[in-house]
Amino acid sequence: MEQPKVIHSTFTLERKFPKPPEVVFSAFSDPAKLRRWFADSKFHETEKFEADFRVGGEEFVRYRMTTGPVSGLAIENKAYYHVIVPNERIVTASTMSVEGRCISASQVTFELIGTREGTDLICTHQGAFFENSDGPQIREQGWRTLMDKLAAVLAD
Amino acid sequence: MLDRLVHGPLSVSALAEPLGITITAVAQHLRILEECGLVRTEKVGRVRTCRIEMAGFDHLERWILGHRTLWARRLDQLGELLAEDDEKQK
Repeated sequence: MEQPKVIHSTFTLERKFPKPPEVVFSAFSDPAKLRRWFADSKFHETEKFEADFRVGGEEFVRYRMTTGPVSGLAIENKAYYHVIVPNERIVTASTMSVEGRCISASQVTFELIGTREGTDLICTHQGAFFENSDGPQIREQGWRTLMDKLAAVLAD
Repeated sequence: MLDRLVHGPLSVSALAEPLGITITAVAQHLRILEECGLVRTEKVGRVRTCRIEMAGFDHLERWILGHRTLWARRLDQLGELLAEDDEKQK
């Protein structure tokens, strides 16, 4: 019998910011701010970024790695906003594609909790990870190397 | 512990401090993780640092770890963006 190929994995990241929830929330709702922390980085070139912050709206980013052996690789993130509770909660459904191949689909939940010191931000990422080894550019061995290098660049 | 190392290498004492446990206890955990091939430690002078050893994870685990690293980096960048206003006011 064939084995299941989809891997499900959930992880949580938490941060404390010395800012009130309204300020932290604006970093999500304001596309100019969102781009700066979510879409841009020194490791890649952001080719396209759009964000329509409303329930049912879409957020899209395409970027190309600029460093190391993965240079030139095109990656796309597309997300839909499922839930928006101002200053409290954002839930998105998103996919990530590498060179046009969808490699994961995720539900990402942000909870903003006001505290005396500011805001606790909890990011819960529930992902379904796919292995797509078919296709001209991504064969099994190439895929491993690609993921190694991508993870290594991101981990630097 | 792996979660903290996702951001980058850390000295053993930097790793132990927020966890509120002794360096000895952390070192014990690290030895096990090192035996499993998941972290690598290195002593330079008096400081022992540890980092994630990607080779210890299978390729899908590495991809998931890469995902987590990506999100950790984004949240770091969010922290920097939020702190910018403070800098401007100084």
